[in-house]
Amino acid sequence: MEDYITIALPKGKLFKRSLDLLARVGYSAQGVSEDSRRLVIANEETKVRFIITKTVDLPTYVEYGAADIGIIGKDVLLEEQKDVYELLDLGFGKCRLMMAVPEAKKRPELKDYAHLRVATKYPRCAQEYFDKLGIQMEIVKLNGSIELGPLIGLSELIVDIVETGTTIKENKLAEVDSIFTSTARLIANPVSFKLKFERLYKLVTDLRTVLAEEKACPGCYPD
Amino acid sequence: MAETILQVPYGTRDVLPGEAAVRRRMEQKIVCLFAKWGYDEVATPTFEYLDTFSGTGQSAAGAFKFFDRKDRILMLRTDMTTPIARMVATRMRKDKGVKRLSYRAQLFRYEEAQAGRQCEFTQCGIEMMGATGAAADAEVIALAVNTLLEAGLKNFNITLGQMEFINGLIESAALTEGQAQEIKHCLIRRNVAGLEEAVDAAKIPEQLADIFKELLFLHGGMELLKDVEKRVLSRRCRNALENLREIYELAKAYGVEQYLSFDLGLTRSLDYYTGMLFEGYAAGMGYSLIGGGRYDNMMQRFGSPCPATGFALGIDRIALTLERQGGSPVEKESAVLVAYAEGKIKEAIRLACALRKEGKRTRLADQAMTETEALQSMQDNHCGEYRYVKDDLYPL
Repeated sequence: MEDYITIALPKGKLFKRSLDLLARVGYSAQGVSEDSRRLVIANEETKVRFIITKTVDLPTYVEYGAADIGIIGKDVLLEEQKDVYELLDLGFGKCRLMMAVPEAKKRPELKDYAHLRVATKYPRCAQEYFDKLGIQMEIVKLNGSIELGPLIGLSELIVDIVETGTTIKENKLAEVDSIFTSTARLIANPVSFKLKFERLYKLVTDLRTVLAEEKACPGCYPD
Repeated sequence: MAETILQVPYGTRDVLPGEAAVRRRMEQKIVCLFAKWGYDEVATPTFEYLDTFSGTGQSAAGAFKFFDRKDRILMLRTDMTTPIARMVATRMRKDKGVKRLSYRAQLFRYEEAQAGRQCEFTQCGIEMMGATGAAADAEVIALAVNTLLEAGLKNFNITLGQMEFINGLIESAALTEGQAQEIKHCLIRRNVAGLEEAVDAAKIPEQLADIFKELLFLHGGMELLKDVEKRVLSRRCRNALENLREIYELAKAYGVEQYLSFDLGLTRSLDYYTGMLFEGYAAGMGYSLIGGGRYDNMMQRFGSPCPATGFALGIDRIALTLERQGGSPVEKESAVLVAYAEGKIKEAIRLACALRKEGKRTRLADQAMTETEALQSMQDNHCGEYRYVKDDLYPL
């Protein structure tokens, strides 16, 4: 597969926009869709292959070189800590990691939250955050529905990703602190980046141009 | 039975017959090549004091550590350059010549294990101590290329960088220690987005800022060096580029220039390399196979300042790459089984000895048997042929 560029795309909220952006710089293939039963879709003509992966697995595909490049949220990169190159901040998929507690249990200061249980999908980021604050917490790793934790007494607080904040409000949670903001990133395997440099460099430059055009003319392109 | 009795610890592995032979042959070829280039093989202890390693820029953080009976901290070696530097600074201190040393060693690092990246791994490498200048670095690179060829690799690429170029840029930008560390960190992680942020935050003059931002994309051949030279004013950066050019010209004399390209954003580990540095890659392998460079500050730590350059390559990674490139089937060397009838073991031993003297791989049957059983035993014991001893006149 030396003459192909293999691109990993994550299922979920980043998928459609990633596909559109890549199509605009000439990287597309027939029948790439999130619910496709085919796992590998190739475009023989432009020598591109797409693979569609679970979000958390995407950096692993790229680290091992099974995919040359991929598009993934900065939040996943920070949590997974894989050995990949981060080539471009694509600017979309904005969200942030924050800590929240039930509204009724809000305390005056950050340091008042020590020695509690924290439900999160991001145990590494949460641990680092609390370490920096110098407070000890018991981290409970969950894979979804994090906001359920405090409601049923599994944890006192949560560390989770929010986009608009609607879900936490609906569940009567209040944000206490913002940990970091995240956007979609273009990542590459270190060796692919060397061996396929010409094509990947062109891809980065073309994507930069497209993003700059969009910025210069908001509303010209469908979101 | 305890749960772990049949397991091996995390990040370690067994090497089975066949595979072990292939590896041993490859290592021998490499060690022979090093010898031909005038490098003397050395060995150092598998574990050393933590103090020897800490502060060398090679991480003691990922080391396996333990205590001796006087409660001093020991660690399994994580690289060979540090022990060799210690050895040269002590026992070879009086040696006035250029030290050309080679090794083959097991190293130990607590790494996230994956194929070709284990906690215990084998490296072969060379160090050249006491030589400065492009000629020494060109020799190291030429030997690196020849080593990969000798190992049987065909499709690979070596990229060269220069720490002095990066240090020169940092110097001209007059960065604070913290800003410089942040930028170097982004370079090591190849984090382009982070690098741009760090450069913007440091408020570097625009022309210089552009070079910083492009740094991770400055890949190419000799033309790249010319283009970049026009854009940098600092003497230090120009000298660094001149050094790379010189190395490249000498690499041509070695006939290895077709494997080389430049990557001016290449950094390998923080504050360890001081000049030219390089990495080698092959298709089908997600990480580098070989790496090295100039590290002139190391020997100073051991009280014996001396310029030094060298490289190391991962045997496990090379073996895996060869397998993936389809070049190295696990071959079994064939052997002869010497079987014997009841009461003929002494004759059989004599025959086995004679065969071994001829250079044949020979296995002696573990007990007397009939000739029919001998045929079966030959297959069970992975032998290609057998000899059956039934009277004094054994077949030779």
